[in-house]
Amino acid sequence: MRGSFLQVSTEHRGLVFDPRTKLLLLITMSTFVLGGIAGEKLSFLLPCFCVLPFVLLLTARKYKTAALYFILYTGSYLLNLLATPHLTGFPAFLVLGCAGILTRFMPSMMLAVYVVSSMTVSEFTAAMQRLHLSEKIIIPMSVMFRFFPTVADEFSSINAAMKMRGIAFGGKNAGKMLEYRLIPLMTCTVKIGDELSAAALTRGLGGTVKRTNVCKIGFHAQDVIAILFCAGCFGFLILDVAGVL
Amino acid sequence: MIEIQNASFRYANSDSGVLDEITLHIKGGECVLLCGKSGCGKTTFTRLINGLIPHYYEGEMSGNVTVSGLDVTKTELYETARLVGSVFQNPRSQFFCVDTTSEIAFGCENLGLPVSEVESRIQKSANELDMVELLGRNIFKLSGGEKQKVACASVSAVQPEVFVLDEPTSNLDIDAIEDLKRTLLLWKSQGKTIIIAEHRLYWLKEICDRVIYMDKGKISFDISMCDFTAFSDEKIRSLGLRTLCSDHLRIAAKIPVAETMELQNYHFSYQQKDALCIDSLALPVGGVIAVIGHNGAGKSTFSRCLCGLEKKFKGKVSFDGVQYTRKTMLKKCYMVMQDVNHQLFCESVEDEVCLGMDEDNEKDVSGILSGLGLAELSERHPMSLSGGQKQRVAIASAILAGKEILIFDEPTSGLDFEHMEQTARLLSSFAGRKTLFVITHDPELIVRCCTHILHLEEGTVLEQYPLTNENKARFTGFFKV
Repeated sequence: MRGSFLQVSTEHRGLVFDPRTKLLLLITMSTFVLGGIAGEKLSFLLPCFCVLPFVLLLTARKYKTAALYFILYTGSYLLNLLATPHLTGFPAFLVLGCAGILTRFMPSMMLAVYVVSSMTVSEFTAAMQRLHLSEKIIIPMSVMFRFFPTVADEFSSINAAMKMRGIAFGGKNAGKMLEYRLIPLMTCTVKIGDELSAAALTRGLGGTVKRTNVCKIGFHAQDVIAILFCAGCFGFLILDVAGVL
Repeated sequence: MIEIQNASFRYANSDSGVLDEITLHIKGGECVLLCGKSGCGKTTFTRLINGLIPHYYEGEMSGNVTVSGLDVTKTELYETARLVGSVFQNPRSQFFCVDTTSEIAFGCENLGLPVSEVESRIQKSANELDMVELLGRNIFKLSGGEKQKVACASVSAVQPEVFVLDEPTSNLDIDAIEDLKRTLLLWKSQGKTIIIAEHRLYWLKEICDRVIYMDKGKISFDISMCDFTAFSDEKIRSLGLRTLCSDHLRIAAKIPVAETMELQNYHFSYQQKDALCIDSLALPVGGVIAVIGHNGAGKSTFSRCLCGLEKKFKGKVSFDGVQYTRKTMLKKCYMVMQDVNHQLFCESVEDEVCLGMDEDNEKDVSGILSGLGLAELSERHPMSLSGGQKQRVAIASAILAGKEILIFDEPTSGLDFEHMEQTARLLSSFAGRKTLFVITHDPELIVRCCTHILHLEEGTVLEQYPLTNENKARFTGFFKV
């Protein structure tokens, strides 16, 4: 199927979390795994974090993405564990670098994939409104969400056009691949953006009245568990920094 | 209802689409058709009513526009939005949300209506437009016709007094146009005022009461639909307008084609869903083949498979005793896409057409460019050209790359009579030399340039016949014109 994994299908949404919970999970994940803020004493939290995106992707029926994540993560973890003691010099540096980057980035990236692919634009705006953010921030961000699938659509058309012109890796124009892709992509997205803004304005976006939102969001049991988990992690962190642990 | 007095407008940094001293009164409940050649100012006129001019598009503006007592030129757009609802040409760029229900809710949410009211309005417009089954779906997976239905429903939910439609059918098939017609009749029966700018006219005969023809930014005539339908075919053509009725479709004489190519094992499916199911099919080499069928009949899958763009596709094509696989077809075919912007990559027209060129063709560059009327444009940036010129650049690059099969995806959507005829002449000029496939919903284009009809439905070939006067009834029957 053409298109992107960022398209939300309302049928298979998996374990339904409140959008705010998802954002909190994402922040916690980036702080601990990507930011590497957890010290020696908190390293017991890391496995939980790494399993989390896998489980969530499974509940959202993104089996392929989940499997890919599992293979890449365990692969690079094992490589790091088994190969590094036997390697020296440049190969060691290379393996350590690649495996290190993958193990650090993958969990947060996969969680982000889950969050974006399971949240609709209106859920996102509703959550942001509940957090009392300004419309000036919410509207551009929701347009951005709307734009991912558009860009993906445009991109696949451009790819098809490039194939028919024989522009591919290994061809004589391989060096210009990026340029050839970006020029039409930019022209098309700018045009779409322009039309999109005009359409949104004729439908009353940006008025002075407070927008309502029909999307029902709210906290459930699963949200409470997730929030407690995040709070626990940050709690440990504070205790650790304070030197209590 | 709508009062326009001495309105003039000129876009900043552009000479096209100017309006010159327009004065007009439209009564409540009237349904007005705006027609005219491309660039006559139809779209600009619609923007005057929904307030995008002067609030969004910048330029010099003078005169007054009032809608139901509200001065649109001085009112903020979100106030005008309560009174005037707009449906645009391109369904992919008028959606703010990713799923249909939130999209229909969007306009009402902006008005700050209470949640229960918004929900009942969603249900009401979905029922009225007969699209309940489309609620809760991903907009990116809908067909063009379904998207336009969602666009209508989302405008309808706001319950404005005036509806403005700017070329709403350019991406629609015949059935989707019928649906749109029903929607318009519903709005009309509710006493709404409708203003519609359109190239295709035949479907509006029973809807519009009044026809305004524009030329170079001025209203050249403003008459009732009855008087307009009495116009002779020659007069309609001399005005640069599309036909009103099928009796005027005359099939042009065609070059006979003898050789055939054989398509084998054309089967393809997306995620277990069969999209294409053709065991074998013989097609004329050197013919101009119109590929027709409803939205979702498999026309685009067919063309993507033919071009070799689908990686998992196993079908083969044989002609002249040689069998071509997917990869070799990729070298032989070129598709001119509906949005030709996707396939122009370079900084000048000359670079563009030389990219991926066969080395033997080097001498022919200037000949082919001048043959397509591009010789003076060879230094220009492709993106700065008009739509028709871009299309010709794409064709020139395909010819120079030695492509033998050209596929055109909706080459005339949104074109006026003159430009459609130009495209038809261009396509006919390749007959006998290249094999052309034209995916189209435009019967006027087909009678002018196509030699054969390939009618697809549900992924299979429903029928296939040469386009002659004897076969005309089969063809016009499909287009219901």
